[in-house]
Amino acid sequence: MKKLHLKTKILASITCLSFGLTGLANAGAHSEDVYGPFPVTLKGYSGDCTNTVSYSGQIARHVQHDSLKAASTKGSYDNMNAYYVGADGDQAILAPSSKDDFQIKQTLVNEISSGKNLSGKTYKGTITAWPNNMTAPEVIDFWMMKAADNPKDVSVGLNYQQLLSKFIMGAVFYNQAVDNYLDEKMGADTKPNDKPYKDGACYTGKEHSWDEAFGYWGAAAHSLLLSAEDNYNVAKRKDLAAADANGDGVVDLKSEYVFAHAYYASSFDKGGKTSYMEDITRAFLDGRKLITSANGEKLSDAQRSELMGYVDVISTNWEKVIAESVFKYAGSTYKSLVALETVSNEDLSKEFSNYMKYWGELKGFSMALQVGKNNIGETATKLNRMIGFGPMLMDETQIVGIKGMMGSDGKFITSEYEMGKVYSMHDAKLHMLKIQKLMIDEFGVKARSKDMLADMADLASKIGSSDSAEND
Amino acid sequence: MDFLFDIFQNIADQFTNPKKRVFILYLFLSILIASGWLIFYKKKSLKDSFKFIFNPKVFFSKSAKSDYKVFFINQIFMLIISPHLLTQITIATALYFFFFEINFIEMGLFSYAPQYLIIGLFTTTHFIVDDFSKYIVHRWMHKWPFLWALHKVHHSATNLTPMTVFRTHPLEGLVFTLRSAIAQGITISTFVYLFGGGVDLYTILGANLFVFLFNVFGSNLRHSHIGIRYWKWLEYILISPAQHHLHHSVAKEHYNKNYGAALAIWDWVFGSLHHSEDTDNLTLGLGTKDDQKKHTLKELYTIPVIEFFGFFKKKFYLIFHRKKKEENKSEIYFKKSLQ
Repeated sequence: MKKLHLKTKILASITCLSFGLTGLANAGAHSEDVYGPFPVTLKGYSGDCTNTVSYSGQIARHVQHDSLKAASTKGSYDNMNAYYVGADGDQAILAPSSKDDFQIKQTLVNEISSGKNLSGKTYKGTITAWPNNMTAPEVIDFWMMKAADNPKDVSVGLNYQQLLSKFIMGAVFYNQAVDNYLDEKMGADTKPNDKPYKDGACYTGKEHSWDEAFGYWGAAAHSLLLSAEDNYNVAKRKDLAAADANGDGVVDLKSEYVFAHAYYASSFDKGGKTSYMEDITRAFLDGRKLITSANGEKLSDAQRSELMGYVDVISTNWEKVIAESVFKYAGSTYKSLVALETVSNEDLSKEFSNYMKYWGELKGFSMALQVGKNNIGETATKLNRMIGFGPMLMDETQIVGIKGMMGSDGKFITSEYEMGKVYSMHDAKLHMLKIQKLMIDEFGVKARSKDMLADMADLASKIGSSDSAEND
Repeated sequence: MDFLFDIFQNIADQFTNPKKRVFILYLFLSILIASGWLIFYKKKSLKDSFKFIFNPKVFFSKSAKSDYKVFFINQIFMLIISPHLLTQITIATALYFFFFEINFIEMGLFSYAPQYLIIGLFTTTHFIVDDFSKYIVHRWMHKWPFLWALHKVHHSATNLTPMTVFRTHPLEGLVFTLRSAIAQGITISTFVYLFGGGVDLYTILGANLFVFLFNVFGSNLRHSHIGIRYWKWLEYILISPAQHHLHHSVAKEHYNKNYGAALAIWDWVFGSLHHSEDTDNLTLGLGTKDDQKKHTLKELYTIPVIEFFGFFKKKFYLIFHRKKKEENKSEIYFKKSLQ
């Protein structure tokens, strides 16, 4: 009897303890470092809403982008376009999809948000990085048409999947966030904090504008609780425990997954030299807390100026994340160009395929860098000239233009690439190194993945600093 | 507060980093070498040798005290300007691109050379190029009056101690930094261009092998009162401490001799070599009447700047004046021709 009593006691203690621990874990998940929930601050709101954080439209677009990327190799323009311009009814999520040990809650775009598209939110300016003065949606449409014919066109060296994905991330997510929500919509009289974002909404103008920008950034709501490595593994669908913040066994794309540039940021940060993911996500969180603290009143000048400080952290670091990507892929392209010179015949096609992929990423990221808030001016010209319209092929030719018939809607009915020799293979390699230097000089990139000039920096640091006030 | 900490760290680094001349181990080895020289060559007792080495008259002389002051002040100065100086990596990158652009031989031409050879070659070349550039710049410091205005600060030392190495005008420090950056930039870029990613440096305790050896074998005695001499044949190759003491001598026959840092070869080749002599009765300094008055901060910091810029002012004045004279002349001719 006594023994049983003891057993009951132990059992009871274990139960209490486990409840306590679960409670602690939950408390952790809702700590100060999680983006949301945030309470209603809007004056005079009388609805049922209790959490004003809402960015499901942005997540739907992330999913449309990932799905478009997955569809881009399948040879169907309509399939790709459906994710770009949106579709009525149920649209399957092609990516990110569930894996055995990484189950995703949603399988349809509509489960996240309905009626969304990428095309309506794409940067509308002319893209000088691509021939024929096309706008960004026209470039994307052109690439989708080409991808439907041949997603990896060896004859011209274009990997459309990479071009589409990397450019869309810039022309939609980056542009919308830094050039719209964090720019115009942070103005004193635009989307004010004492009015709902739109009639009937429970969130204020500023609250929702800020949330939309956060959504485009792509971090999970609990990303600040995770290491760079964890965030990276979430995006790679490798770590369910890290992703599943609420412990329901599935990953909710609306708040528990890491998308787009946030993923790239964590990929650089895990090298230990940078903290883009932490810095940007924290600036978003701190900014949101600041807006919430205004308690539904118009932001004072002081509050708005503090908020613009966070905007600056976000915009500058976001730009750096893209510049780091340009840096990395310029390095990979360089390495591939060197490898192509010595590679054996059987490995040639594999190496050329790598080369097309790296160049595509480089081109896409470099185009993304040009659609932010700032006009990067001469840097853009240099980038576009050094990268070209297509990678240099083995006969030293590359795409120099596009000819064909264009319809009244600005779309090509027939099109053909014009090839030409602009510079030598030797120059093509030099350009990649110069691009790396340009990214250091203009954006101060620090992670410097695939640094082709690192050998010199290593030697310099081994020899020691050159400053000396010594008379030998 | 951070700044103070940085200064402290910089100073500590001078004595704890094996890449630096006055690293504590090198100082200790210099004492050992000096003791050996005094005991075995000068036949002094151990006690007398130590008394001689740690002579307070040397280490607490006006000259030495000003060395210490300059050391501290320059640490602060370098801490402020260092981040703004041209670095070896900037020069190396620019040169690398230049080689690439002019298609300077074929990139990576020798990348298949054995690793030990590449590393050995780089380590040696870096040491030689660095040492040669020191020789050249040192020669200029003596030859050009505006540079001598700065270099005089170093030569105003009337006693030599290992800390005299730091007795350098900050503007001269800028010249030396530029020298070092250019020398390193050339070697690094050329090697990485020709040999690819396998280039490395043989180091001991993190210092270039040759720099380490130079320091282990008593580089600190170059600035000291221990006039160690080498065999004559060796003094054609390596500068002995006594040879460098002659460089600091006020005697006319020692003027413009022995500019070399580690290697004497440059002096030999370019005709500025002077073999060592017994340095016991050597007078050091600038050789002016008031050498002992040259140890004030004003003399060490302000006057060199005034003289440095004064030199350019004078030059400009002369050019301007000559131009005016010529203009006047032509005006007279012009007027005359009208008459």
